Order: sequence, then structure tokens, then C-alpha cells
Amino acid sequence: MAGRKVAAGVKGVTREAPPRWLESVLRWCLTERDRETISGDLLEEYREEMLPRLGQLRADIWYMRQLVSFLLVRSFGGSAISASLAWMSMFTALAGVWLAIMEQVLKHPGHAERSVLAVFVVIEALATILVLICLSLARFRVIVQMSAVAVVLAGASALIRTIDAPHFEGFVFLIGSALIVQGALAIVALGRAVPRKEV
Amino acid sequence: MADLLGTFEQAVLLSVWNLAGGAYGRAILRGVQAALERPAAAGAVYATLDRLEQKGLVISRVEDGTPIRAGRARRYYRLTAVGIRTLNESKAALEQMWRGAKWPLESKA
Repeated sequence: MAGRKVAAGVKGVTREAPPRWLESVLRWCLTERDRETISGDLLEEYREEMLPRLGQLRADIWYMRQLVSFLLVRSFGGSAISASLAWMSMFTALAGVWLAIMEQVLKHPGHAERSVLAVFVVIEALATILVLICLSLARFRVIVQMSAVAVVLAGASALIRTIDAPHFEGFVFLIGSALIVQGALAIVALGRAVPRKEV
Repeated sequence: MADLLGTFEQAVLLSVWNLAGGAYGRAILRGVQAALERPAAAGAVYATLDRLEQKGLVISRVEDGTPIRAGRARRYYRLTAVGIRTLNESKAALEQMWRGAKWPLESKA
């Protein structure tokens, strides 16, 4: 692409556009309505202001900061319920990773099935965060909501088994409760995450 | 009275107002930064514009882009009558709240 070629006269510049992957991530995170206009605004600022003033590396860092600001606003800057869901999903993903690792280390009977369940929980949590951040993925929210129902059931199952177990396992109770809350939040919050379609 | 606006929302609306016909994302961002005298994240400005448009305080139109932005379209914003009224009400409410208070405030201790 010609726009990415040499920009003469600017110190150390080898191209006049942000890294292609950064632009792709930004455009991917925007709705169809905003994809051209917002990425165009940032490209204009990058070329006219940041690149001549800061040089390529710092201009790229500036662009990355703008992208991060979009991601943060999308995930934590929306409604209180969306922000809570983002935090809960991060916790759930970490809990799932930790559970999967512990299952593989301890290898108690049934660890293979529980590892699969933990991996599913991680995928569901990450998918929830992705749908929250990337409005272009909002069309997949029903699938994530259905996964969230499964997560709620898994959490409820864990709670029931903990209560029935001869030895109370506090961490299972805690994670089971968190799964129920996260799943319920996902079902409610993603139901509201409908992107605007008009141009 | 309509819902009062937050400081950031007021800065965005005032920037749109000051820019008149030239209020598009990048120019609005600069106006907000100048008004607040601090850097503002682009994501926050666009999210605010989106929210204000959904509330009916601004409306937007899309126009063709320029070569510097690889031909990508520009979205221009302008205040609606409701937006102007809400902005006026926000200022009036602030002034009403401060009426009678000697500024700057000093400790009563």
C-alpha cells in the first residue's frame, strides 16, 4: 500500500501509517458504523500531528495508547454491570487457569473431566470479555450467553457438591459462587450490548 | 429539568458547539483537551459522543474523507435543540448551586 511507504523528511520514518496489526485490532473492535470514521480520525492525527512531532516509534506508542483507551472504555467504562462483568470474567478466567493447573498437578480421580471443564470456563470468560470489548463481535453474544448458562449450572453443581461433601472445601465454594455471579451477569449484560446499526 | 451533565460531557458538548460545522472526532478531542487543560483519551471522547447522540443531545452526519485519512469518512456532530437546552440548564444549575457562596472557599475551622 502506497500510504505505508517512505515518508521523506521525517526522522527515521519508514512508513506513514500505524502498524497494520494495530489498525486491524482497532477496526475489529469498532462497530461497522464507526469503523471508517474513528479509524480515519486516528490515522489523520497520526499522520498530521504525531508522526512529524514524535517520530515513528513514539507515534506508534501513541496509537497503541489510543487503542488501549478504546479497549478500556469498552470493557470498564460502560455501565456498572458491564464493568462488574469485565472484572468478574477476568477473575473467572484466572480461576479457571488455576484450577486446570492444579488438576494437572494433583491428578485426583476425574481430573481429566474437570480440566476440560476448567478450560471451558476460561474460554467462556475470555469470550465474554471479547464480546464486551469488540462490539463487532456482538452478534456472537447469544452463543456466549448460552455458554454463560452452562457456567451458572457448573457453578451451582460445584456448590451443591461442596455442601454435600464430608469436608467443606472453601475455595470450591468461592469459585462456584463466582461462576454463578459471572454467568448471571454475562446473561444480563450481554443482552444489553447491542451495537447501533444506523450510519 | 433534564438530567444534569457531567464535566466531561459538558466539555464535549461545548467543544462541538465551539467548532460549529467543523466538529468531527479529532477536532472535538482537541477542543476537550484544551477546555480541560489535560490529555483526554480518544476512546472516552467517542464513547461520550455516542452516549450523547443516543440521548438526543447531538446528531451526526457522515461526509467523505480526505487523502490524509486514506479516504475514510468523517463523522460531523452538531448540537440539537435539546442539547443546547441541557447545556444551558447544567450551567444554570451550577451557578444556582454556588450562589451565595464566597469563592474561593476557605476553611471554617
